[in-house]
Amino acid sequence: MALQPAAGARDLNPQQVELNQKLNQRLAKVYRLWGYDEVSPPRVERLETLKAGGAIASQDIVRLVADEPLGLRPEMTASIARAACTRLRQRPRPLRLWAAGTIFESRIADEGSLCIEENLQSGVELFGVEPINAEMELLSLLFSAVETLELSKRHKPRLLVGHTALMDLIMLPFQNDLREKIRTALIHYDRLALENLQLPNDQFERLLHHLECRGEPLDVLERLSGQFGTQQALNNLQRLFEQMGPLAADQGIDLQLDPTFQPHFELYTGLVFQLVCQSDAAPVVIARGGRYDNLVARCGAKGLQAAGVGFSFAIDDIRELLTKEIRASEAVESTLVAYGDQTSLEHALKRQRHWHKQGQRAVVELEACRDREEAFSRLADRGCSTLDWLDH
Amino acid sequence: MITVALAKGALLNDSVARFQSAGLDFSAVLDPGNRQLMVPSRCGRARALLVRNGDVPVYVAYGQAQLGVVGYDVLREHQMPVAQLVDLGFGGCRMAVAVKDSSGYKHAADLPPHCRVASKFTHCAREFFDALDLPVELVHLTGSVELGPITGIAEAIVDLVATGRTLRDNGLVAIEELFQSSARLIGHPLALRLDRGDLQLIVEAMRIQQSLPKNSA
Repeated sequence: MALQPAAGARDLNPQQVELNQKLNQRLAKVYRLWGYDEVSPPRVERLETLKAGGAIASQDIVRLVADEPLGLRPEMTASIARAACTRLRQRPRPLRLWAAGTIFESRIADEGSLCIEENLQSGVELFGVEPINAEMELLSLLFSAVETLELSKRHKPRLLVGHTALMDLIMLPFQNDLREKIRTALIHYDRLALENLQLPNDQFERLLHHLECRGEPLDVLERLSGQFGTQQALNNLQRLFEQMGPLAADQGIDLQLDPTFQPHFELYTGLVFQLVCQSDAAPVVIARGGRYDNLVARCGAKGLQAAGVGFSFAIDDIRELLTKEIRASEAVESTLVAYGDQTSLEHALKRQRHWHKQGQRAVVELEACRDREEAFSRLADRGCSTLDWLDH
Repeated sequence: MITVALAKGALLNDSVARFQSAGLDFSAVLDPGNRQLMVPSRCGRARALLVRNGDVPVYVAYGQAQLGVVGYDVLREHQMPVAQLVDLGFGGCRMAVAVKDSSGYKHAADLPPHCRVASKFTHCAREFFDALDLPVELVHLTGSVELGPITGIAEAIVDLVATGRTLRDNGLVAIEELFQSSARLIGHPLALRLDRGDLQLIVEAMRIQQSLPKNSA
């Protein structure tokens, strides 16, 4: 029998599970305070749903062997959007939902084998609200949620924000294949790929300028306004950042607007963001989100109904990031019920029920002990502090 | 602190020299007595990880190193999500298909379908033969690939060619080039986006130095 879990799968110990639950509960408390209702989308979905209309590449999805094309969810937004547009269609908008659960991503490891990455996520979705009102609530809620995580200064949290409309403005002079190549090079921060396209010098310089144009949001917006004139997207972002700046500062979060920033999944059709923290070794993305109206429209929603924004926290990554800040609960006072040759396990189990009725954690020593001293010596191994010795 | 991944071997001397002229002195890694794999720069604001050639993009892709220097051939083979920042110009070589001089093959397309091709760079080879629409069986070897056609394990090889001397000495000839390779400065895309200017200074210094005429570099 293989004794190792499948590559990439999580196999957590009790303390890690407890910390995950603690983080989940903290976040859930905030979501509920903001009026969000919990849903539990399926882990298994039809591939067509999971691909979210091509926004998610099929190689990112763990497929199941079945008569119909099925897979494990690589994120939860597509499933929740479908629910919002079908059985929750009649519910009034704004529709506020939250969910927590495991997601599965597939990737090919360097040696060519399939690697399944399993991660615990917790996040919210807000349906039926147009820009930029929904984004205002979403980011305010994100900051409230971050507050409960108790990040410290050493994590240097920074919210990296982009917007698909900004990328569209940058891409305006380019068409077809060239457009896609430039877009890919900008997203991957690949300057050599841009150089190799051998664009006219003025276009190349302008693209480099856009690649390096990032920083404090209001400064960046001013620079972009200088280049592109008055634009609805810029006005919306201006309003958003004027509101969000002080809230982010309260939480010690730096805001950074980066016009060429786009995430891995091409799900988003508006604001996109990632909350990045500094771990001891490398930057870690602890939350990501944005607007995904096209996905909601693909689920059959029309007009204002076809509007959705959301974010999700990566719980496992946050747990690993907060190793110094968050601890599992202190050991609960436990009683070890042990018995000698003069009595029996049945008696010990009865005694255990007595303790449980009093709300006291109690564990039975399943083998008889020679004497009280032997029972006492087992206390530490069993994680107990007091002994209830039965010898008659 | 800035962490830089440097490849042991042929690229190391030039890599150290380029970082030195950009303000980071890692010359301690060139000391023959050095056995440390993580070496601080003389100024103390950076450190170098001394790793195998193929591991440079791995350290950078995972964000453990913000910058690295590695050959383009390795980047093509491993396809890791790293940002290519500067073509450093040194370590020049080409990835080529080579066959026995006596084989009579003049082009890769002359090779018989389903023949065996030996290579350390099976991903690059697969891409090339797929584009040619020529089905081949790839045999992965980790070194001395030139032995493939000599021993008969393969009809052809795909390998790096610098001067071509090793091919000649083993009775082989290059018949087609896949791509030219040279050392690249690479970076972790997210670290570059989060950078407050420290990384950018180094990247720009290395780029400017690369664009200078060779006698002033």
